[in-house]
Amino acid sequence: MRKIGKILSFTVASCAMVAFAMPAAAKDKAPTPRQLVKQYCRVCHGPNSPNGEYTPMTFIQDQWTDFFANTYKDAHKGVVDPHHNNKKVLEEITPDMLKKIEKYMVDHAADSEHPMTCG
Amino acid sequence: MKRFVALAIGMVALAAMPAFAHKTYSHQKYFQHYEGTKTCLQCHKMQAETFFHSLHYQWEGPAPKIINSHGMKLGKLNTINDFCTNPKANWIGLVRNSRGEVLSKGCSQCHAGFGKMPSETMTKGQLENIDCLICHASGYRRDLYKNPDGSVAWKPILWKNQVGLDSVAKRISLPKRTMCLRCHAGSGGGPNFKRGDLEYTLTDCDSNFDVHMAKNGNDMQCIDCHAGKNHDIPGSGTDIAGDGESTATVACNNEDCHGNAPHEAEILNIHAKRVYCTVCHIPDFAKHDATDMDRDWSKPVYHAKQDKYSPTIKFEKDVKPVYAWYNGTTWEQLPKTPVKFLPDGSVGLMVPQGSRKDPKSKIYAFKLHRATLPVLKGKNWLIPIVVEKFFADGNINKAVVNAAKDFYGIDNAKYKWVRTERWMGVFHEVQPAKNALKCLDCHGPNGRMNWKALGYDGDPMLAMVHKSLKASH
Repeated sequence: MRKIGKILSFTVASCAMVAFAMPAAAKDKAPTPRQLVKQYCRVCHGPNSPNGEYTPMTFIQDQWTDFFANTYKDAHKGVVDPHHNNKKVLEEITPDMLKKIEKYMVDHAADSEHPMTCG
Repeated sequence: MKRFVALAIGMVALAAMPAFAHKTYSHQKYFQHYEGTKTCLQCHKMQAETFFHSLHYQWEGPAPKIINSHGMKLGKLNTINDFCTNPKANWIGLVRNSRGEVLSKGCSQCHAGFGKMPSETMTKGQLENIDCLICHASGYRRDLYKNPDGSVAWKPILWKNQVGLDSVAKRISLPKRTMCLRCHAGSGGGPNFKRGDLEYTLTDCDSNFDVHMAKNGNDMQCIDCHAGKNHDIPGSGTDIAGDGESTATVACNNEDCHGNAPHEAEILNIHAKRVYCTVCHIPDFAKHDATDMDRDWSKPVYHAKQDKYSPTIKFEKDVKPVYAWYNGTTWEQLPKTPVKFLPDGSVGLMVPQGSRKDPKSKIYAFKLHRATLPVLKGKNWLIPIVVEKFFADGNINKAVVNAAKDFYGIDNAKYKWVRTERWMGVFHEVQPAKNALKCLDCHGPNGRMNWKALGYDGDPMLAMVHKSLKASH
Protein backbone atom coordinates (compact mmCIF):
# COMPACT_ATOMS: atom_id res chain seq x y z
CA MET A 1 0.00 0.00 0.00
CA ARG A 2 2.87 2.30 0.93
CA LYS A 3 4.58 1.42 -2.33
CA ILE A 4 1.43 2.21 -4.33
CA GLY A 5 1.20 5.53 -2.52
CA LYS A 6 4.80 6.35 -3.44
CA ILE A 7 4.23 5.42 -7.07
CA LEU A 8 1.03 7.48 -7.17
CA SER A 9 2.65 10.59 -5.70
CA PHE A 10 5.63 10.21 -8.05
CA THR A 11 3.26 9.92 -11.03
CA VAL A 12 1.21 12.95 -9.93
CA ALA A 13 4.38 14.99 -9.36
CA SER A 14 5.80 13.98 -12.74
CA CYS A 15 2.53 14.80 -14.51
CA ALA A 16 2.37 18.16 -12.77
CA MET A 17 5.96 18.93 -13.80
CA VAL A 18 5.27 17.96 -17.38
CA ALA A 19 2.01 19.96 -17.38
CA PHE A 20 3.77 23.08 -16.13
CA ALA A 21 6.78 22.63 -18.36
CA MET A 22 4.81 21.94 -21.54
CA PRO A 23 3.46 25.41 -22.34
CA ALA A 24 6.82 27.06 -21.71
CA ALA A 25 8.65 24.52 -23.85
CA ALA A 26 6.04 24.76 -26.59
CA LYS A 27 6.28 28.53 -26.46
CA ASP A 28 10.06 28.39 -26.75
CA LYS A 29 9.89 26.12 -29.76
CA ALA A 30 7.16 27.93 -31.68
CA PRO A 31 8.81 29.91 -34.45
CA THR A 32 8.17 33.62 -34.51
CA PRO A 33 6.30 35.05 -37.51
CA ARG A 34 9.62 36.44 -38.75
CA GLN A 35 11.22 33.00 -38.54
CA LEU A 36 8.26 31.48 -40.39
CA VAL A 37 8.70 33.99 -43.21
CA LYS A 38 12.41 33.22 -43.36
CA GLN A 39 11.95 29.47 -43.24
CA TYR A 40 8.96 29.10 -45.53
CA CYS A 41 8.92 32.14 -47.83
CA ARG A 42 12.39 33.57 -48.20
CA VAL A 43 13.96 30.17 -48.89
CA CYS A 44 12.29 30.19 -52.29
CA HIS A 45 11.83 33.94 -52.74
CA GLY A 46 15.22 35.32 -51.70
CA PRO A 47 17.48 37.68 -53.66
CA ASN A 48 17.93 36.74 -57.34
CA SER A 49 15.50 33.85 -56.99
CA PRO A 50 14.00 32.59 -60.28
CA ASN A 51 10.68 32.58 -58.38
CA GLY A 52 10.97 36.33 -57.78
CA GLU A 53 12.21 38.05 -54.64
CA TYR A 54 9.53 38.93 -52.13
CA THR A 55 9.99 40.73 -48.84
CA PRO A 56 7.26 42.28 -46.67
CA MET A 57 7.95 45.64 -48.29
CA THR A 58 7.55 44.36 -51.83
CA PHE A 59 3.85 45.18 -51.54
CA ILE A 60 1.63 47.62 -49.71
CA GLN A 61 -0.69 46.31 -47.00
CA ASP A 62 -3.74 46.14 -49.28
CA GLN A 63 -1.78 44.18 -51.85
CA TRP A 64 -0.72 41.59 -49.25
CA THR A 65 -4.28 41.22 -47.96
CA ASP A 66 -5.49 40.82 -51.51
CA PHE A 67 -2.70 38.36 -52.29
CA PHE A 68 -3.47 36.03 -49.38
CA ALA A 69 -7.21 36.19 -50.05
CA ASN A 70 -7.15 35.71 -53.80
CA THR A 71 -3.79 34.64 -55.20
CA TYR A 72 -1.76 32.67 -52.68
CA LYS A 73 -3.47 29.29 -53.23
CA ASP A 74 -3.48 29.47 -57.02
CA ALA A 75 0.10 30.69 -57.13
CA HIS A 76 1.30 27.75 -55.01
CA LYS A 77 -0.93 24.98 -56.40
CA GLY A 78 1.22 21.91 -56.92
CA VAL A 79 4.37 23.70 -55.78
CA VAL A 80 6.68 21.59 -53.65
CA ASP A 81 9.21 22.99 -51.20
CA PRO A 82 12.69 21.46 -51.67
CA HIS A 83 13.73 22.90 -48.31
CA HIS A 84 11.05 20.90 -46.50
CA ASN A 85 11.40 17.38 -47.92
CA ASN A 86 9.62 18.30 -51.14
CA LYS A 87 6.32 18.56 -49.36
CA LYS A 88 3.54 20.51 -50.99
CA VAL A 89 3.64 24.15 -49.91
CA LEU A 90 -0.12 24.33 -49.41
CA GLU A 91 0.05 21.36 -47.00
CA GLU A 92 3.35 22.16 -45.30
CA ILE A 93 2.24 25.67 -44.34
CA THR A 94 -0.72 25.13 -42.03
CA PRO A 95 -3.62 27.61 -41.88
CA ASP A 96 -2.35 28.80 -38.50
CA MET A 97 1.15 29.39 -39.85
CA LEU A 98 -0.29 31.15 -42.88
CA LYS A 99 -2.26 33.50 -40.67
CA LYS A 100 0.93 34.47 -38.82
CA ILE A 101 2.82 34.92 -42.07
CA GLU A 102 0.07 37.11 -43.51
CA LYS A 103 -0.04 39.28 -40.40
CA TYR A 104 3.73 39.73 -40.51
CA MET A 105 3.67 40.67 -44.19
CA VAL A 106 0.87 43.20 -43.63
CA ASP A 107 2.44 44.65 -40.47
CA HIS A 108 5.74 45.23 -42.25
CA ALA A 109 4.48 46.09 -45.73
CA ALA A 110 5.91 49.00 -47.72
CA ASP A 111 3.28 51.42 -46.44
CA SER A 112 3.33 50.20 -42.82
CA GLU A 113 4.93 52.04 -39.93
CA HIS A 114 7.77 49.53 -39.89
CA PRO A 115 8.59 48.24 -43.36
CA MET A 116 11.01 45.32 -43.30
CA THR A 117 13.08 43.33 -45.70
CA CYS A 118 13.12 40.33 -43.35
CA GLY A 119 16.88 39.98 -43.55
CA MET B 1 -28.45 40.04 -74.36
CA LYS B 2 -26.18 43.07 -74.86
CA ARG B 3 -26.91 44.13 -71.30
CA PHE B 4 -25.96 40.64 -70.04
CA VAL B 5 -22.66 40.69 -71.95
CA ALA B 6 -21.84 44.14 -70.60
CA LEU B 7 -22.64 42.98 -67.07
CA ALA B 8 -20.53 39.86 -67.49
CA ILE B 9 -17.59 41.89 -68.82
CA GLY B 10 -18.02 44.29 -65.92
CA MET B 11 -18.00 41.43 -63.41
CA VAL B 12 -14.86 39.93 -64.93
CA ALA B 13 -13.15 43.32 -64.94
CA LEU B 14 -14.14 43.87 -61.31
CA ALA B 15 -12.83 40.48 -60.31
CA ALA B 16 -9.55 41.15 -62.10
CA MET B 17 -9.02 44.40 -60.23
CA PRO B 18 -7.53 44.14 -56.75
CA ALA B 19 -10.04 44.80 -54.00
CA PHE B 20 -8.19 47.91 -52.80
CA ALA B 21 -8.41 49.56 -56.21
CA HIS B 22 -11.79 50.87 -55.13
CA LYS B 23 -10.36 52.77 -52.18
CA THR B 24 -10.39 56.49 -52.73
CA TYR B 25 -7.56 58.71 -51.63
CA SER B 26 -7.29 62.50 -51.73
CA HIS B 27 -5.51 62.49 -55.10
CA GLN B 28 -7.30 59.50 -56.60
CA LYS B 29 -8.74 61.47 -59.49
CA TYR B 30 -5.82 63.78 -60.22
CA PHE B 31 -3.43 61.37 -61.88
CA GLN B 32 -3.22 57.76 -62.89
CA HIS B 33 0.44 56.91 -62.41
CA TYR B 34 3.05 58.53 -60.19
CA GLU B 35 6.18 59.10 -62.24
CA GLY B 36 8.27 61.03 -59.77
CA THR B 37 7.95 64.68 -58.85
CA LYS B 38 7.09 65.70 -62.42
CA THR B 39 3.65 64.19 -61.70
CA CYS B 40 3.21 66.62 -58.77
CA LEU B 41 4.61 69.55 -60.74
CA GLN B 42 1.79 69.32 -63.30
CA CYS B 43 -0.46 71.04 -60.73
CA HIS B 44 1.89 72.21 -57.97
CA LYS B 45 4.74 74.07 -59.67
CA MET B 46 4.20 77.13 -57.52
CA GLN B 47 4.26 75.07 -54.32
CA ALA B 48 7.45 73.36 -55.48
CA GLU B 49 9.04 76.75 -56.09
CA THR B 50 8.20 77.95 -52.58
CA PHE B 51 9.56 74.71 -51.17
CA PHE B 52 12.77 75.08 -53.20
CA HIS B 53 13.45 78.38 -51.42
CA SER B 54 12.49 77.08 -47.98
CA LEU B 55 14.78 76.20 -45.09
CA HIS B 56 13.61 72.60 -45.31
CA TYR B 57 15.09 72.31 -48.80
CA GLN B 58 17.99 74.77 -48.74
CA TRP B 59 19.17 73.82 -45.24
CA GLU B 60 20.20 77.44 -44.77
CA GLY B 61 18.28 80.67 -44.59
CA PRO B 62 18.15 84.18 -43.12
CA ALA B 63 19.26 84.09 -39.49
CA PRO B 64 17.88 87.20 -37.77
CA LYS B 65 17.89 85.54 -34.34
CA ILE B 66 21.63 84.80 -34.47
CA ILE B 67 23.18 87.99 -33.13
CA ASN B 68 26.48 87.52 -34.95
CA SER B 69 25.02 86.44 -38.32
CA HIS B 70 25.45 89.97 -39.75
CA GLY B 71 22.95 89.31 -42.53
CA MET B 72 24.46 85.96 -43.58
CA LYS B 73 22.25 83.03 -44.44
CA LEU B 74 22.95 80.23 -41.99
CA GLY B 75 21.90 76.65 -41.56
CA LYS B 76 23.19 73.13 -41.16
CA LEU B 77 24.74 73.19 -44.63
CA ASN B 78 27.21 76.01 -43.92
CA THR B 79 27.78 75.73 -40.17
CA ILE B 80 29.32 73.10 -37.89
CA ASN B 81 27.32 71.26 -35.28
CA ASP B 82 28.34 68.95 -32.49
CA PHE B 83 26.47 65.85 -33.67
CA CYS B 84 27.51 64.78 -37.18
CA THR B 85 29.17 68.17 -37.69
CA ASN B 86 28.29 69.09 -41.30
CA PRO B 87 26.39 67.31 -44.05
CA LYS B 88 28.33 68.50 -47.13
CA ALA B 89 31.07 65.86 -47.08
CA ASN B 90 28.62 63.27 -45.80
CA TRP B 91 25.76 63.94 -48.20
CA ILE B 92 25.02 60.61 -49.87
CA GLY B 93 26.56 57.17 -50.35
CA LEU B 94 26.50 53.63 -49.09
CA VAL B 95 29.14 53.07 -46.43
CA ARG B 96 29.70 49.41 -45.65
CA ASN B 97 31.57 47.63 -42.89
CA SER B 98 34.06 44.81 -43.43
CA ARG B 99 31.15 42.35 -43.59
CA GLY B 100 29.55 44.31 -46.42
CA GLU B 101 26.67 45.51 -44.27
CA VAL B 102 25.41 49.03 -44.85
CA LEU B 103 26.41 51.30 -41.97
CA SER B 104 25.27 54.62 -43.29
CA LYS B 105 23.61 56.27 -46.26
CA GLY B 106 24.44 59.90 -45.71
CA CYS B 107 22.82 62.99 -44.24
CA SER B 108 20.58 63.44 -47.29
CA GLN B 109 18.49 60.62 -45.81
CA CYS B 110 16.65 63.44 -44.06
CA HIS B 111 16.70 65.96 -46.90
CA ALA B 112 13.40 66.23 -48.75
CA GLY B 113 15.09 65.59 -52.07
CA PHE B 114 16.08 62.54 -54.09
CA GLY B 115 19.79 63.00 -53.50
CA LYS B 116 20.99 66.13 -55.29
CA MET B 117 22.43 68.77 -53.02
CA PRO B 118 20.30 71.94 -53.07
CA SER B 119 21.59 74.64 -55.37
CA GLU B 120 21.12 78.39 -55.11
CA THR B 121 19.65 78.53 -58.59
CA MET B 122 16.23 77.10 -59.19
CA THR B 123 16.24 74.72 -62.17
CA LYS B 124 13.88 72.10 -63.54
CA GLY B 125 16.28 69.44 -62.25
CA GLN B 126 16.22 70.93 -58.77
CA LEU B 127 12.42 71.14 -58.72
CA GLU B 128 12.20 67.52 -59.85
CA ASN B 129 14.66 66.62 -57.09
CA ILE B 130 12.10 67.65 -54.45
CA ASP B 131 10.55 64.58 -52.84
CA CYS B 132 7.02 65.84 -52.13
CA LEU B 133 5.83 62.47 -50.89
CA ILE B 134 8.28 62.25 -47.97
CA CYS B 135 6.28 64.94 -46.14
CA HIS B 136 2.88 64.62 -47.81
CA ALA B 137 2.10 60.92 -48.39
CA SER B 138 1.30 58.64 -45.50
CA GLY B 139 2.77 55.20 -45.98
CA TYR B 140 5.53 56.47 -48.28
CA ARG B 141 9.01 55.14 -47.64
CA ARG B 142 12.22 55.45 -49.59
CA ASP B 143 15.69 53.95 -49.64
CA LEU B 144 19.03 54.48 -51.33
CA TYR B 145 19.47 52.52 -54.57
CA LYS B 146 22.28 52.27 -57.08
CA ASN B 147 21.60 53.65 -60.55
CA PRO B 148 22.86 51.75 -63.61
CA ASP B 149 25.73 54.27 -63.91
CA GLY B 150 26.92 53.46 -60.38
CA SER B 151 25.63 56.65 -58.79
CA VAL B 152 23.09 56.43 -55.98
CA ALA B 153 19.72 58.12 -55.44
CA TRP B 154 16.83 57.99 -53.04
CA LYS B 155 13.87 56.15 -54.56
CA PRO B 156 10.51 55.01 -53.23
CA ILE B 157 10.88 51.47 -51.89
CA LEU B 158 7.96 50.64 -54.15
CA TRP B 159 9.75 51.78 -57.30
CA LYS B 160 9.36 48.32 -58.85
CA ASN B 161 5.69 48.07 -57.84
CA GLN B 162 3.79 50.72 -59.80
CA VAL B 163 0.36 49.71 -58.45
CA GLY B 164 1.52 50.03 -54.85
CA LEU B 165 3.40 53.24 -55.57
CA ASP B 166 0.37 54.77 -57.28
CA SER B 167 -1.76 53.93 -54.26
CA VAL B 168 0.67 55.51 -51.80
CA ALA B 169 1.31 58.56 -54.00
CA LYS B 170 -2.41 59.36 -53.99
CA ARG B 171 -2.65 59.48 -50.18
CA ILE B 172 -1.74 63.15 -50.05
CA SER B 173 -2.38 65.25 -46.96
CA LEU B 174 -0.80 67.99 -44.90
CA PRO B 175 2.11 66.53 -42.92
CA LYS B 176 1.09 64.46 -39.91
CA ARG B 177 3.17 63.76 -36.81
CA THR B 178 4.45 60.47 -38.21
CA MET B 179 5.79 62.21 -41.31
CA CYS B 180 7.60 65.01 -39.43
CA LEU B 181 9.02 62.63 -36.84
CA ARG B 182 10.51 60.33 -39.49
CA CYS B 183 13.35 62.83 -39.69
CA HIS B 184 13.02 65.03 -36.63
CA ALA B 185 13.01 62.17 -34.10
CA GLY B 186 15.88 60.29 -35.72
CA SER B 187 18.33 63.14 -36.23
CA GLY B 188 21.84 62.84 -34.84
CA GLY B 189 22.13 59.18 -35.80
CA GLY B 190 19.42 57.39 -33.86
CA PRO B 191 16.11 57.61 -32.00
CA ASN B 192 16.00 60.85 -29.99
CA PHE B 193 19.79 61.18 -30.15
CA LYS B 194 19.76 64.88 -31.00
CA ARG B 195 16.81 66.81 -29.63
CA GLY B 196 15.90 64.85 -26.51
CA ASP B 197 12.32 66.10 -26.54
CA LEU B 198 11.34 64.76 -29.98
CA GLU B 199 10.81 61.03 -29.76
CA TYR B 200 9.11 58.51 -32.03
CA THR B 201 6.81 57.81 -29.08
CA LEU B 202 5.10 61.12 -29.85
CA THR B 203 3.39 59.46 -32.80
CA ASP B 204 1.26 57.51 -30.33
CA CYS B 205 1.44 58.74 -26.76
CA ASP B 206 -0.81 59.64 -23.85
CA SER B 207 -1.19 62.98 -22.11
CA ASN B 208 1.38 62.09 -19.44
CA PHE B 209 3.94 61.94 -22.23
CA ASP B 210 2.84 65.05 -24.09
CA VAL B 211 -0.37 66.88 -23.32
CA HIS B 212 -0.59 68.44 -26.78
CA MET B 213 0.08 65.43 -28.98
CA ALA B 214 -1.60 62.74 -26.86
CA LYS B 215 -3.76 60.56 -29.06
CA ASN B 216 -6.34 60.22 -26.31
CA GLY B 217 -6.23 63.96 -25.66
CA ASN B 218 -5.62 66.93 -27.90
CA ASP B 219 -4.04 64.82 -30.64
CA MET B 220 -2.38 67.92 -32.09
CA GLN B 221 -0.24 67.64 -35.19
CA CYS B 222 3.16 69.34 -35.44
CA ILE B 223 1.78 71.82 -37.95
CA ASP B 224 -0.93 72.96 -35.55
CA CYS B 225 1.81 74.96 -33.82
CA HIS B 226 4.39 75.06 -36.60
CA ALA B 227 1.84 76.42 -39.03
CA GLY B 228 3.49 78.15 -41.94
CA LYS B 229 2.63 79.51 -45.34
CA ASN B 230 4.35 78.68 -48.58
CA HIS B 231 6.51 76.02 -46.91
CA ASP B 232 7.93 78.59 -44.52
CA ILE B 233 7.68 76.67 -41.25
CA PRO B 234 8.01 78.76 -38.07
CA GLY B 235 9.57 77.59 -34.84
CA SER B 236 13.35 77.43 -34.82
CA GLY B 237 13.82 76.93 -31.10
CA THR B 238 16.92 78.43 -29.57
CA ASP B 239 19.64 76.66 -31.52
CA ILE B 240 18.47 76.35 -35.12
CA ALA B 241 20.56 78.87 -37.02
CA GLY B 242 18.44 79.51 -40.07
CA ASP B 243 14.91 80.81 -40.10
CA GLY B 244 12.44 81.00 -42.89
CA GLU B 245 11.66 84.20 -44.73
CA SER B 246 9.06 85.18 -42.15
CA THR B 247 10.04 85.96 -38.59
CA ALA B 248 7.00 84.22 -37.11
CA THR B 249 7.67 82.44 -33.83
CA VAL B 250 5.96 79.59 -32.08
CA ALA B 251 5.16 80.45 -28.46
CA CYS B 252 2.85 78.95 -25.84
CA ASN B 253 1.73 82.43 -24.77
CA ASN B 254 0.46 83.49 -28.21
CA GLU B 255 -3.00 84.97 -27.69
CA ASP B 256 -4.70 82.25 -29.75
CA CYS B 257 -3.08 79.56 -27.55
CA HIS B 258 -2.57 80.12 -23.81
CA GLY B 259 -2.07 83.90 -23.53
CA ASN B 260 0.06 85.55 -20.88
CA ALA B 261 -2.07 84.73 -17.83
CA PRO B 262 -3.30 81.17 -18.28
CA HIS B 263 -3.36 80.13 -14.60
CA GLU B 264 -6.13 80.49 -12.04
CA ALA B 265 -3.58 81.22 -9.31
CA GLU B 266 -2.22 84.72 -9.72
CA ILE B 267 1.16 83.76 -8.25
CA LEU B 268 1.70 81.47 -11.26
CA ASN B 269 0.78 84.24 -13.71
CA ILE B 270 3.29 86.50 -11.96
CA HIS B 271 5.90 83.79 -12.47
CA ALA B 272 4.91 83.50 -16.15
CA LYS B 273 6.11 87.07 -16.71
CA ARG B 274 9.74 85.97 -16.24
CA VAL B 275 9.57 82.18 -16.38
CA TYR B 276 8.70 80.51 -19.70
CA CYS B 277 6.02 77.81 -19.57
CA THR B 278 8.43 74.99 -20.41
CA VAL B 279 10.33 75.46 -17.15
CA CYS B 280 7.46 74.11 -15.03
CA HIS B 281 5.65 72.06 -17.65
CA ILE B 282 8.66 70.04 -18.88
CA PRO B 283 10.17 68.70 -15.64
CA ASP B 284 12.18 66.15 -17.65
CA PHE B 285 12.68 64.95 -21.20
CA ALA B 286 13.92 61.86 -23.07
CA LYS B 287 11.25 59.88 -21.28
CA HIS B 288 11.30 56.87 -23.58
CA ASP B 289 14.50 56.89 -25.65
CA ALA B 290 17.74 58.01 -24.06
CA THR B 291 19.29 61.09 -25.61
CA ASP B 292 22.89 61.95 -26.49
CA MET B 293 24.22 64.34 -23.81
CA ASP B 294 27.91 64.22 -24.62
CA ARG B 295 29.60 63.23 -27.88
CA ASP B 296 33.38 62.95 -27.79
CA TRP B 297 34.75 62.67 -31.33
CA SER B 298 38.33 62.41 -30.05
CA LYS B 299 37.67 58.96 -28.61
CA PRO B 300 36.47 56.46 -31.25
CA VAL B 301 34.73 53.34 -29.98
CA TYR B 302 34.45 50.06 -31.89
CA HIS B 303 31.14 48.19 -31.71
CA ALA B 304 31.91 44.56 -32.53
CA LYS B 305 28.29 43.50 -32.99
CA GLN B 306 27.71 46.06 -35.73
CA ASP B 307 31.33 46.13 -36.92
CA LYS B 308 31.12 49.89 -36.71
CA TYR B 309 32.97 52.80 -35.12
CA SER B 310 31.33 55.72 -33.37
CA PRO B 311 32.44 58.60 -31.19
CA THR B 312 32.11 58.05 -27.44
CA ILE B 313 28.55 59.04 -26.63
CA LYS B 314 26.99 59.40 -23.19
CA PHE B 315 23.27 58.83 -23.23
CA GLU B 316 20.78 59.83 -20.55
CA LYS B 317 17.10 59.17 -19.96
CA ASP B 318 14.60 61.20 -17.93
CA VAL B 319 16.90 64.19 -18.10
CA LYS B 320 16.30 67.23 -15.92
CA PRO B 321 16.70 70.38 -18.05
CA VAL B 322 19.11 73.15 -17.18
CA TYR B 323 17.89 76.73 -17.04
CA ALA B 324 19.07 80.03 -18.49
CA TRP B 325 17.77 83.46 -19.46
CA TYR B 326 16.79 83.77 -23.11
CA ASN B 327 15.58 86.86 -24.95
CA GLY B 328 14.90 85.25 -28.33
CA THR B 329 18.42 85.64 -29.69
CA THR B 330 21.43 83.33 -29.73
CA TRP B 331 25.17 83.64 -30.26
CA GLU B 332 26.57 81.03 -32.62
CA GLN B 333 30.13 79.84 -33.09
CA LEU B 334 30.51 80.25 -36.85
CA PRO B 335 33.09 78.59 -39.12
CA LYS B 336 36.08 80.66 -40.25
CA THR B 337 35.86 82.54 -36.95
CA PRO B 338 38.23 81.94 -34.03
CA VAL B 339 36.49 79.95 -31.32
CA LYS B 340 35.28 81.88 -28.31
CA PHE B 341 35.64 80.27 -24.91
CA LEU B 342 32.99 80.55 -22.21
CA PRO B 343 33.93 81.13 -18.55
CA ASP B 344 33.82 77.35 -17.92
CA GLY B 345 36.56 76.81 -20.53
CA SER B 346 34.41 75.26 -23.24
CA VAL B 347 33.51 76.71 -26.63
CA GLY B 348 29.90 77.83 -26.83
CA LEU B 349 28.41 76.61 -30.11
CA MET B 350 24.92 77.97 -29.47
CA VAL B 351 24.57 80.25 -26.48
CA PRO B 352 21.23 81.81 -25.54
CA GLN B 353 21.36 85.54 -24.95
CA GLY B 354 19.60 87.36 -22.14
CA SER B 355 19.92 88.14 -18.47
CA ARG B 356 17.94 88.87 -15.35
CA LYS B 357 18.28 92.57 -16.07
CA ASP B 358 17.04 92.28 -19.65
CA PRO B 359 13.24 92.86 -19.57
CA LYS B 360 12.81 90.83 -22.77
CA SER B 361 14.37 87.75 -21.18
CA LYS B 362 12.64 84.86 -19.52
CA ILE B 363 14.07 81.75 -17.92
CA TYR B 364 13.85 78.82 -20.37
CA ALA B 365 14.46 75.06 -20.07
CA PHE B 366 17.39 73.64 -22.06
CA LYS B 367 19.13 70.43 -22.94
CA LEU B 368 22.82 71.23 -22.50
CA HIS B 369 24.70 69.15 -25.04
CA ARG B 370 28.44 68.82 -24.65
CA ALA B 371 30.93 67.54 -27.18
CA THR B 372 34.60 67.34 -28.08
CA LEU B 373 35.38 68.76 -31.53
CA PRO B 374 38.52 69.51 -33.54
CA VAL B 375 39.82 73.06 -33.88
CA LEU B 376 42.39 74.15 -36.46
CA LYS B 377 45.67 75.11 -34.79
CA GLY B 378 46.73 78.68 -35.45
CA LYS B 379 43.47 79.98 -36.84
CA ASN B 380 41.37 78.42 -34.07
CA TRP B 381 38.52 77.54 -36.45
CA LEU B 382 36.17 74.66 -35.77
CA ILE B 383 36.65 71.78 -38.22
CA PRO B 384 33.84 69.42 -39.20
CA ILE B 385 34.42 65.65 -39.56
CA VAL B 386 33.89 63.31 -42.52
CA VAL B 387 31.85 61.01 -40.34
CA GLU B 388 30.58 58.50 -42.89
CA LYS B 389 33.94 56.87 -43.68
CA PHE B 390 34.92 57.09 -40.01
CA PHE B 391 31.97 54.82 -39.14
CA ALA B 392 33.64 52.09 -41.22
CA ASP B 393 37.35 52.58 -40.58
CA GLY B 394 37.49 54.40 -37.23
CA ASN B 395 40.31 56.63 -38.48
CA ILE B 396 39.40 59.89 -36.79
CA ASN B 397 42.60 61.67 -37.83
CA LYS B 398 41.86 61.02 -41.51
CA ALA B 399 38.23 62.09 -40.97
CA VAL B 400 39.31 65.46 -39.51
CA VAL B 401 42.11 66.14 -42.02
CA ASN B 402 39.81 65.31 -44.97
CA ALA B 403 37.10 67.55 -43.56
CA ALA B 404 39.53 70.48 -43.22
CA LYS B 405 40.44 69.97 -46.89
CA ASP B 406 36.77 69.70 -48.00
CA PHE B 407 35.46 72.56 -45.89
CA TYR B 408 38.34 75.07 -45.85
CA GLY B 409 40.66 73.81 -48.63
CA ILE B 410 43.46 73.34 -46.08
CA ASP B 411 45.91 70.45 -46.63
CA ASN B 412 47.32 68.34 -43.79
CA ALA B 413 45.52 70.33 -41.13
CA LYS B 414 46.99 70.38 -37.65
CA TYR B 415 44.32 70.48 -35.02
CA LYS B 416 43.56 70.18 -31.31
CA TRP B 417 40.46 69.00 -29.48
CA VAL B 418 38.21 71.38 -27.53
CA ARG B 419 35.19 70.85 -25.33
CA THR B 420 32.01 72.51 -26.60
CA GLU B 421 28.48 73.16 -25.42
CA ARG B 422 25.20 73.79 -27.17
CA TRP B 423 22.11 75.08 -25.36
CA MET B 424 19.11 73.46 -26.98
CA GLY B 425 15.69 74.76 -25.97
CA VAL B 426 13.31 72.03 -24.81
CA PHE B 427 9.75 72.58 -26.02
CA HIS B 428 8.07 69.17 -26.35
CA GLU B 429 6.92 66.42 -23.97
CA VAL B 430 4.85 69.11 -22.23
CA GLN B 431 3.14 67.95 -19.06
CA PRO B 432 -0.39 68.73 -17.87
CA ALA B 433 -0.77 70.89 -14.73
CA LYS B 434 -0.93 67.86 -12.41
CA ASN B 435 2.60 66.80 -13.45
CA ALA B 436 4.14 70.27 -13.59
CA LEU B 437 6.82 71.40 -11.15
CA LYS B 438 5.64 72.50 -7.71
CA CYS B 439 6.95 75.48 -5.70
CA LEU B 440 9.52 73.50 -3.72
CA ASP B 441 10.98 71.88 -6.84
CA CYS B 442 12.72 75.22 -7.41
CA HIS B 443 12.39 77.00 -4.06
CA GLY B 444 13.01 74.06 -1.73
CA PRO B 445 16.26 73.10 0.00
CA ASN B 446 17.34 70.91 -2.94
CA GLY B 447 15.73 73.02 -5.64
CA ARG B 448 16.72 72.49 -9.23
CA MET B 449 17.59 76.14 -10.04
CA ASN B 450 21.16 77.38 -10.01
CA TRP B 451 20.23 80.83 -8.71
CA LYS B 452 23.76 82.21 -8.88
CA ALA B 453 24.08 81.26 -12.56
CA LEU B 454 20.79 83.05 -13.16
CA GLY B 455 22.10 86.28 -11.59
CA TYR B 456 20.66 86.02 -8.08
CA ASP B 457 22.53 85.92 -4.78
CA GLY B 458 20.35 83.02 -3.73
CA ASP B 459 16.75 81.84 -3.91
CA PRO B 460 14.79 85.06 -4.62
CA MET B 461 11.80 83.76 -2.70
CA LEU B 462 13.86 83.41 0.47
CA ALA B 463 15.18 86.92 -0.09
CA MET B 464 11.60 88.20 -0.33
CA VAL B 465 10.60 86.37 2.87
CA HIS B 466 13.59 87.87 4.73
CA LYS B 467 12.72 91.31 3.40
CA SER B 468 9.08 91.12 4.53
CA LEU B 469 10.11 89.74 7.95
CA LYS B 470 12.53 92.64 8.39
CA ALA B 471 9.82 95.13 7.42
CA SER B 472 7.36 93.67 9.93
CA HIS B 473 9.83 94.01 12.83
